[in-house]
Amino acid sequence: MPRPTRAPLLALLCAGLLALGVPVATGAAAAPAVSGTEGLVRMMHLSPDTPSVDAYIDSVSDPDVGVVLPAVTYGDVSPYQVVPAGTYTVSARAAGADPASPPVLASTVTVAPGTATTIAGVGYFADLGFAVLSDDLTLPPAGQARARVVNAASTGAPLDLTLAGGTSLATDLPFAESTDYVDVPGGAGTLTLTGSTGEPTELPVDLAAGSVYTVLVLDRDGGGLTVTSVLDAASPGVVPVGGVEAGAGGTAVDEGLPVGRSALAVLALTALALAVGVRLPRRGRTPRHLAS
Amino acid sequence: MTRTSSQARSGRHRRPDRHRLTAVRAGLLAVAVVAGTIALVDRPDDAARAVPVATPPAPVVLGSPTAVPAARTVATPAGLRIEAIGLDTDLTRIGVDAAGALVPPADFEQAGWFAAGPAPGEVGPAVLAGHVDDRRGPGVFFRLEELAPGDRVEVTRGDGEVLDFAVTRVAAYLKDDFATEEVYGPTTGAELRLITCGGTFDRTRRSYTDNVVVYAQLT
Repeated sequence: MPRPTRAPLLALLCAGLLALGVPVATGAAAAPAVSGTEGLVRMMHLSPDTPSVDAYIDSVSDPDVGVVLPAVTYGDVSPYQVVPAGTYTVSARAAGADPASPPVLASTVTVAPGTATTIAGVGYFADLGFAVLSDDLTLPPAGQARARVVNAASTGAPLDLTLAGGTSLATDLPFAESTDYVDVPGGAGTLTLTGSTGEPTELPVDLAAGSVYTVLVLDRDGGGLTVTSVLDAASPGVVPVGGVEAGAGGTAVDEGLPVGRSALAVLALTALALAVGVRLPRRGRTPRHLAS
Repeated sequence: MTRTSSQARSGRHRRPDRHRLTAVRAGLLAVAVVAGTIALVDRPDDAARAVPVATPPAPVVLGSPTAVPAARTVATPAGLRIEAIGLDTDLTRIGVDAAGALVPPADFEQAGWFAAGPAPGEVGPAVLAGHVDDRRGPGVFFRLEELAPGDRVEVTRGDGEVLDFAVTRVAAYLKDDFATEEVYGPTTGAELRLITCGGTFDRTRRSYTDNVVVYAQLT
């Protein structure tokens, strides 16, 4: 065996350091979160007399980044779009209109990383505006749901919405306005809507524990109102407490050390031998050319 | 013996290397001393750490059953397959114990779906848990932490439909500081949370220190 050169000794040194738990080079332990630089954004068409529109969400800083939502009609809620965090121009044009044509409505919206935003076209066409709503998609308290209301109905305003059990979702809510979020008991129940006529209407509703909702009140074709619960986000109705006991140690090595005790002993002896410079006897060391 | 020219040449080349070689050997000597010391010395005194003896996990007690809509039986997940780590298992229903902690399946070779949460394919994080090992060897989720972003996770539903998910990230959390909101918090789309144990095995508590959580999204 040839005399050990530097490279194998260095390799053994690294192995030895690793065995003792000293990081030789920083390796990736766990991948970083993906959504650290992105946000969620969606649009709602909540103007009763505005026709179908094409909605555009265009990045101000990067012309290649943008979303087009074609043919959005009154009552439509788009799915959440994942976009890089940043500033965006949100605009609406008549459905099918040339993207280069002047928009019917435009606004600037900042999407912060890790946030969710709803941009809703609200009000009558004559004074159409974009309401920019922050969506709270964090975990509700145990056993509860989180809900808010948007009044997009041209009749019946101002509205009261109450859940059976007394939780008030909206009180005297004017047209084109929205409420803040409210935590409500999770589960199936009854929603009572009272409009300007004073006649209460009862509707079945299921606001599941752990989920977040936007309740839309809309004009119904043929008269009256429609109440729709839009599921913004969902989580388990029962949230487990703490960590999970999912192992019995059959594949674990001694705690605190990446390798077993006996392996360490072997490493110690080997390293010592090499450090001291003990060489194994090898063939060919006997000089071939002896002076005779 | 006279020095041959080749020996003279190798002697010249060796001189700068010799310093580095000495340094490496010194390092090896240090490793030898430390490794040998640890190998010979007794285990650290556990009493100094004052770690309470952990109680074993409570038996699985499902809460009073909530009414499950009939449509749910179609969405119930039946199987889990992850080619990247050679995993192919059926799924059993799991729940929480009296203290509210998630309890993996009693069978160490089987993975479980937390039935009180979303089913894979529904909006929200569907929770799948399995053991990393039993007392003798690997369990169903032994290789879970090898997964990387982009790896494909297949869930087969009770009706035969196959759902494809892609891993977005792999995280590890101390059980004593479990990131409940991050792992179980609401999502706007259909996602998965695959959970098992990791980190160091604490023999006095008979428990791993960490949980490994793989995040995946429906593709």
